[in-house]
Amino acid sequence: MNDPYRVLGVSPSASDEEVKRAYRELARKYHPDNYQDNPLADLAEEKMKEINEAYDAITRQRAGGGQTAYQSQPSGPSAGGYNANAGYAGSRDPFFQKVYQAIQVGNLAAAERLLTEEAPTRNAEWYFLMGVVCYHRGWLDEARQNYQMAVQMEPGNLQYRQALQMMDQGGYNTYRPAGFTSAEGCDPCSTYLCISCLTPWGGPCC
Amino acid sequence: MFGYVRPDRAHLTDEAWERYRAAYCGLCRCLGKTYGPAARYILRYDFVFLVLLLEEGEACQTRRCPRHPLGGRPCLEESQTLALCAGESVILAYYQLSDGVADGAFFHRLGCRLARRTLKAAYRRASAACGGFDRQVGQCLRELDGLERARSPQMDRAADAFARLLAAAAPETGDAALDRPRRQLLYHLGRWIYLVDAVDDLEEDARRGRYNPVAARYGEAADRAALAVTLGHSLALAQSAFQLLPRTSWSDLLENILYLGLPGVQQLVLTGQWHKKERDKQETTL
Repeated sequence: MNDPYRVLGVSPSASDEEVKRAYRELARKYHPDNYQDNPLADLAEEKMKEINEAYDAITRQRAGGGQTAYQSQPSGPSAGGYNANAGYAGSRDPFFQKVYQAIQVGNLAAAERLLTEEAPTRNAEWYFLMGVVCYHRGWLDEARQNYQMAVQMEPGNLQYRQALQMMDQGGYNTYRPAGFTSAEGCDPCSTYLCISCLTPWGGPCC
Repeated sequence: MFGYVRPDRAHLTDEAWERYRAAYCGLCRCLGKTYGPAARYILRYDFVFLVLLLEEGEACQTRRCPRHPLGGRPCLEESQTLALCAGESVILAYYQLSDGVADGAFFHRLGCRLARRTLKAAYRRASAACGGFDRQVGQCLRELDGLERARSPQMDRAADAFARLLAAAAPETGDAALDRPRRQLLYHLGRWIYLVDAVDDLEEDARRGRYNPVAARYGEAADRAALAVTLGHSLALAQSAFQLLPRTSWSDLLENILYLGLPGVQQLVLTGQWHKKERDKQETTL
């Protein structure tokens, strides 16, 4: 394993508190919630694992090398594993199951070919999966249009509605580094206002 | 390119701004040295972003240049990355001028033709140095041309051609943990640039009867709220990709651009307060 201190970006002489703070910031950054449906979710998950192991190793080391001396297990990725398009566990229809598998292994061309050439019917699920293919390509507008179609055809389906809602919000909440955290909604025109009048410290709000 | 990818100066410390300028001056110097003094004029902020993203070194030296003859300025030292970014910006500028020769008003066409002739030798050299990128740009722009001719109402597909072009600007390293985030970052940055530029051009394209992907999708009175959502979504995907890359001494500048600079530019373009031509002048005098 890599040097746990390097993984957390702190020096070996850092205090317990500093190590914990660095770990928390990284855990906030790589948290699976920030990478829901993101084509890079697997890389974030790997990073999360790496920092969990590093933090574990350091706390064990500092507690005197005992395996169980440090009980508090840091909050890692949620148990049960994390999948792209959480909520959609695959289809009961074997054809759509095949399409979904192709998407999961990253073979978008194959998934699209199956959908456009071999699909027996264009039902709500067809549009939903087409939306997923578009989303993974980065075609966000077309992904939204497909999700919308799926919702129209099957308004009762929660997954389709969630997918559409996610698009209408411009994606899930993502990590913002320290110093940029409250910049949301702080457009450059009102920034000037925030700078001097609205913050008690008279400094920038974000 | 277009100059939309810029830092938010108000939120940078003077020290950070100096480092940004050193990267800018380094790229400018590299352009001038490798491709002749005229090539310095094609420098845009967008390629400084690419330098910050790909550069590993941070050593600077004070250098004099025609714009700063007295005392000189700190300049990022020459490196393979700078050479690559300089070559790629020459290639893109050349294709952009070719595009300008193909359409536009008479005087604009004439200007582009002259500029292209001046840049021709530089383009040949850049093409020899970055052949792969040259081919990729040629191919993507041909696809884009086809979509524009067909007046495609699917703005994602037009944006896709440009986004893939920009993604090709970062050479593959063979390490998926590096290549995939870089690719996603540049892809969504490319999509964002293409669509922001289309919004910026709405009025002019309508006046000239030219194809505009945003107008084709939403009509001429573009749905700005929907555009803000989809543009913001691309930025979010670019930001999340950036966070998976190893941190370098340039990360603070990149974060400033991704989290403050781009959203600020987007806001200005969507509210019609971005004035491209004035910005262009501003930029060449950094």
